[in-house]
Amino acid sequence: MAVRTIAPDIYSVGAVDWELRLFDALIGTPQGTSYNAFLVIGQEKTALIDTVEPRFEEDLLKNLMRIGISSLDYIVINHAEQDHSGTLPLLLEMFPGATAVTNEKCKDLLVHLLQVPEHRIKTVKDGETLDLGGKTLEFMITPWVHWPETMITFEREQGVLFSCDLFGSHLATSELFVRDFTDVIGPAKRYYAEIMMPFAASVRGAMEKIADRDVRVIAPSHGPFYDDPSLIMDAYAEWSSDRVKNLVLLPYVSMHGSTRKMVSVFTDALIEGGVEVRPFDLTSSDLGEIAMTAVDAATIVIAAPTVLFGPHPAAFHAAYVLSALRPKTRYVSIIGSYGWGGKTVQNLTDTLSHIGAELIDPVYIRGYPKSEDLTALRNLADTIVKKHEGVITRP
Amino acid sequence: MEKYRCMICGHVYDPAKGEPKQNIPPETDFADIPDDWTCPVCGASRDKFRAVA
Repeated sequence: MAVRTIAPDIYSVGAVDWELRLFDALIGTPQGTSYNAFLVIGQEKTALIDTVEPRFEEDLLKNLMRIGISSLDYIVINHAEQDHSGTLPLLLEMFPGATAVTNEKCKDLLVHLLQVPEHRIKTVKDGETLDLGGKTLEFMITPWVHWPETMITFEREQGVLFSCDLFGSHLATSELFVRDFTDVIGPAKRYYAEIMMPFAASVRGAMEKIADRDVRVIAPSHGPFYDDPSLIMDAYAEWSSDRVKNLVLLPYVSMHGSTRKMVSVFTDALIEGGVEVRPFDLTSSDLGEIAMTAVDAATIVIAAPTVLFGPHPAAFHAAYVLSALRPKTRYVSIIGSYGWGGKTVQNLTDTLSHIGAELIDPVYIRGYPKSEDLTALRNLADTIVKKHEGVITRP
Repeated sequence: MEKYRCMICGHVYDPAKGEPKQNIPPETDFADIPDDWTCPVCGASRDKFRAVA
């Protein structure tokens, strides 16, 4: 990425990864991503805020050269995950006078994950500031947004919030600032779903902290920046709230057609009951889309056949990921079909119990659905319709 | 004695069991756990736990 000016003497110097299609070897990133890093030049001192994924270290170094940086005083590390901190060892080698600045918890992780020598790290506490000369960096410790050591850095004079992964999006773009939020809200929501959702309570806490500050620009560590911070702040307020939508997330997998038939009848019954439903065939769906739907869904129903003694692995995988993401979903249930036995319902129930939602009685049948099975599915849909009436806030 | 759930990872502290690997004996009330105790699963601090309703 070329060097870009965010504000006077504040530059974006990170890298765009146009080609990434799978992040953390787990969830799709169909629009690539970026690893944002920032240079803040004060009258006395110069600070780099965050680094880049090590594969892109050359981009960062080239950008520093283009600005004519021959020495760095500080390298602020907001978060120890390697896509942001991974270039730190090289930078400390190339800039022997530089000191890494981070909090105590992050220091511990940097020492263990990157073998950074302890004497090169200066630790700061919540609310502590660093004066660069006409530019003041304030550090806000925001644990569990999304790692225990995460912090964010606020440049007071220009009101630039270096928000780390908070408010980020996996989106490779040549635009520095968000100009059309309709292009960005999808990737931003996907990012929230995958990274921030398990920590919604901590996200709300961090946003309360930020609300006191005069934030004019939000510069996250992935994706484009916001010079109208209310766009992303309002979206986050909604996503991280307790409000759920009249929506059923229905990840399914079918082997011989029985479960598919059940999904089809159940989907129609929900639509007839006035409930929005999003079925996802797990053999061809993007986990990120499922996670995004889970941000809003009042109910999750997993549809799976039994393979050998338990759930089809694709359904088990989806249930595991959803339980780890811990959406605000209020109800869960299971539908599907088995041939001769197994513990599918028990296994899926145990996995989904981490969501903390109420389990509605599953409809788990033997073989191809008979008319009484279809009636049971319609009854399940009716139950969900009634439950939703109690939890949906209508505008 | 109430059970407490970690708001970060969902781990449940059960006073009947204590935390055998952390030298917290069975029948220890959550209120009696030391302040510097952290979640055995994710390392969250004690204040991230809430009573299970």
